[in-house]
Amino acid sequence: MAGVWKNPLFNWGVERAAEALPAPEWKNPQGSWDQARESPVPLHPVGRLRYYYKWPGHGGRTWSRRRYWPTRRRVLDIRGEYNPKSSRREKTIVDKRPIWWVMGLLALVLAPLFIPLNLQSTLLTAGAVFEIYAAINLCWMLIIGTAGIYSLASYAVVGAAGFGTAWLSINLGLPWWTLPAIGSVIGLAFGLIIALPATRLDGFYYALLTIGVNELCRVYTLQSKQFGSATGGLYGADSYVPQQLSPLGQSLVAYYACFALMIGALFLYRFIDGRRLGRILRMAPEKREAFAEATGVNYRQARIQVFIISSIALGFIGGFYTSHFRGVSFSIFGFDTVLLGLAMLVIGGIGRAEGAVVGTAIVIFLDKVLISVGPIRLIIIGVIMLTVALFLRGGLFGIKAQFRGWRDKKKSENRSSRAEKGGEMLPEEATETEDKDLIYWRRYDKMQRDYLKTLVSDELIDEHRRCPLGQHSEPLERLLLYFRRQPQVDKYAIVAVEPFKAYRIVALSGHRGVAPRVVEDKTYGSQEEAYHGVFLRRVQDLLES
Amino acid sequence: MDLGFILTNAVVLACIYGTLAIGISITWSSLGLINLAYGFIFAFAGYGAWLAAQYVLTNGAVVLAAGILTGALGGLIVCALAFIPIHDKPNFTVRGLIATLAINLIGTQSLMWWFGPRSKSLPEVFGTWKIPLGNMVLTADKVGNVVASIAMLAIVLKWMRSSRRGLEIRAMMMNPHAASIVGIGVRRTGFYVLAITGGLAGLASVLLSQTYYIAPFGGLTPMIKGVSIALCGGLGSVSGAVIAAMVLGLNEALTSVVLGGQYVLITQFLLIIAVLLVRPRGIAGILDKAREA
Repeated sequence: MAGVWKNPLFNWGVERAAEALPAPEWKNPQGSWDQARESPVPLHPVGRLRYYYKWPGHGGRTWSRRRYWPTRRRVLDIRGEYNPKSSRREKTIVDKRPIWWVMGLLALVLAPLFIPLNLQSTLLTAGAVFEIYAAINLCWMLIIGTAGIYSLASYAVVGAAGFGTAWLSINLGLPWWTLPAIGSVIGLAFGLIIALPATRLDGFYYALLTIGVNELCRVYTLQSKQFGSATGGLYGADSYVPQQLSPLGQSLVAYYACFALMIGALFLYRFIDGRRLGRILRMAPEKREAFAEATGVNYRQARIQVFIISSIALGFIGGFYTSHFRGVSFSIFGFDTVLLGLAMLVIGGIGRAEGAVVGTAIVIFLDKVLISVGPIRLIIIGVIMLTVALFLRGGLFGIKAQFRGWRDKKKSENRSSRAEKGGEMLPEEATETEDKDLIYWRRYDKMQRDYLKTLVSDELIDEHRRCPLGQHSEPLERLLLYFRRQPQVDKYAIVAVEPFKAYRIVALSGHRGVAPRVVEDKTYGSQEEAYHGVFLRRVQDLLES
Repeated sequence: MDLGFILTNAVVLACIYGTLAIGISITWSSLGLINLAYGFIFAFAGYGAWLAAQYVLTNGAVVLAAGILTGALGGLIVCALAFIPIHDKPNFTVRGLIATLAINLIGTQSLMWWFGPRSKSLPEVFGTWKIPLGNMVLTADKVGNVVASIAMLAIVLKWMRSSRRGLEIRAMMMNPHAASIVGIGVRRTGFYVLAITGGLAGLASVLLSQTYYIAPFGGLTPMIKGVSIALCGGLGSVSGAVIAAMVLGLNEALTSVVLGGQYVLITQFLLIIAVLLVRPRGIAGILDKAREA
C-alpha cells in the first residue's frame, strides 16, 4: 500500500477521524477505459482497404465506350465513380486481364528477337511446342472446364487425327494445307464416337473410360504395321515449313505459325466459353444440373455441342501437328502425355484460358528446356502437380480468390476475438433493444466496475469495518458512491429485528407493495456491524460480476 | 496354340486383373478416392519383391510376402499423401484423382531414376512343375496364380465380412457420412483400405511378373485393365468385378482366336462401352446416384 490518504476533517477534531489512512496509489479511471479499448491485434481504420488503383480524371469519357465486334463487350471494363470522401471523380479498371493478355502475347511475338544465339534452336523449338500444346490444352479446357466432361482422351483425338492425316499424306501425297481440314473431319468422327458414352456416363466413370480409350489407341498403333510400328511413329508427311529456308528461318516460320494456331484456339475458347454455350453451361455446374434442367436449360445438348466442337478443333490441331513435325509418334497416346497435359491444366487452374496457357508454359519449360536434367524434371512436375492438388483449390490463378477467402476468414476470427463481453451487449442483443442508451450505459458501467475492482483491498475493508459511516478515504468513497447509486431492485438494506440488539440484511424488491426478502439467517449485534455486512456483500457481488 | 491354352491364359489374367479391379472398387466405394496411383504401387511392389529375391531369399513365399508388404506400404504412402490431407476439403474427388496421378508420375519416375529403365525378372515363385490335363499342360505359374489370387481374395473378403475392421470398411462403403457419425474413423479406415488394396496390387504384381517383367512403367497396363474391369463390373461391387473379369477374360480369349491379338483392346472397349450404355453404373452397380463425398 504505497499511497496515504490524509483526512481533511482531522484538524477539526471530528469524532473517530484518523489523521491518515493507507490507500492505494491514485489511478486515473480513464486507464481502465483505455485498457478495454486496447486490442491485441492492430486495428485498421474502419472500412475496406482499397485494392484497386484509382485513376484520376473525369469519367465523362467512360460513357463513350469502344466495343468490339461481334460481342458488345468493352475493350477494358472501366467503372467511373465518385470518391465518397473527397467527392472527386475517379476511374477504376475492374478487369485488368486484357492488359495482361496483350502484354503476354506481345512478349511471345517479340521473344525471338531477344533469344541468345546459342539457345536459339532449343528455345524456338520449345516455344513452338508450347504454342501447339497450349492450343490443345485450350480445347481440352473447353471440354473439362466449360462442358464439365472429364475426358482424358483429348490427346487421343489429336493423335488419331495426326496419324490419319500423316497416313493420307504419305500414301496419297496430300499437300500440307489439306491436312488440318482432313484432321477436323477425323476429329469430328472420333469425337462423335467417344461422345456416345458421355451421354450416359458422368464424371469419373467417363474419365476412367477415356484413359482406356487412350491406351487402346496407343496399343493399336503400336501393333499395326501401317502406322509404322517399326519406326516409332509415322513420319514423312508434307510440311508447311519451306525447305529452302535456313534452319533459323524454318524455326521462325514454325514458331509464328504455331503462335497463330494458339491465337486461333484462344479465340475459339473465348467464343465458346464467353458466349451462349458457356453461359448455358455456367448455369448448370456440377450437382446443380437438376435446377438448370428445371428452368429449361438443355445442358446435356450444350455439353455435347461443346465436346464435338472441341473435338473438331482438336482434329484440326492434329492435322497441323502432323504438318509441323512431318509426322506423329506414338508418344502422343502415351499415359505420360496425358498426365503431363493434365498437369498443365491443373497447375494453371481448371476453367480458365490463362490457366491453360501459363500451366502449359511452366510444364513445357520444365519438360523441354531443362531436358538435360533427366528424370528429375518430371519428378519436379509431379511435385508441383501434387502441391497444387493438395493446397490450391483452383490452380495458380485461383490463388487470389483463395487468399482473399482465407484473409476474410482470419479477419472475422480476429474481430470475434476482439469483442469483450463482460456485461456488454452482444451484437445481436444490441440490435434487438429498443433503448439504445442502454448499450452505452452497460459499456460505461462495465468500465467503471473494472476500475473499482482494482481499488478493493484488505485495508479498505478494514477501514469500513472500523467506521461504516462518516468521511472515508477517497477510494472507499468512490466504491460506496457506486454502491449507493445502484437501482432499487435487489438492493441490500438492513432491518432492525430488535432495536440496538439485532439487525438483519434484506434485499429490496424494488416494487411497491412487494415485501423485501430476507437474504441470510445471520443477525448482527449492532447497526454498524450490519452496515459492514451489507458492504461486504456488495463487494463480493462486485468482484464476482 | 489351341483354345485350351488361350482359355487358361485368359482365366489366369482375369484372376490377376480381377484382384486389382476389386482393390480399385473397394477404394472408390469406401473412400471416394479413385486411386490412379495403382500403376506406381504395382511397380513399387514388383521392385520390393525383386529386392527381396535379390538380397534376402529367393524362396517363393518370401518373395510373395515381400511383394504384398511393399504394395501395402505403397498404399499407405498414397493414403498419407493423397487421402489424409484433402479428404475433407472441397472438390475432393477431382483433387484426389489428380493427386494420385501426380503420385503416379513422381513414383514411376523415381523408380526409373533409381533402378534404371532395364526391366527385372523375378524367380519362379511356384516352382517349375507341370500337370498334363487332357491335351493341355497346366504349368506351375498358371495354377499358382489362380490359386494364390483366389486365396488372397477369399481371405480379404472373409476378413471384410467377419472382422470389426471389415465391418467399418463396409459401413463406409454403404454410407460414409453416417459411418463417421457413429464413430468410425475416416482416416483410420482410409489407412486400412489403402493398405489392403495396396497389398492386393502387390500380389497381382508378383503374380503377373511370372509372365511379364518388372519395369518402372509396367504397372500402367494392369492398372488400366483393372480400372476397366472395375468400371464394367460397377465401381464398388466385388461380385460385379468378378463377373466383369470373367466376361472380359473370355472376350480376350475369343478375340485373339477369332480376330487376332491386336484387336483385343478394341473389342474389349467396345464391350465395355456397350455394357455402360445399357447400365451406366456397370453390371452390378445398382446405385442410381453417384457416390457423394
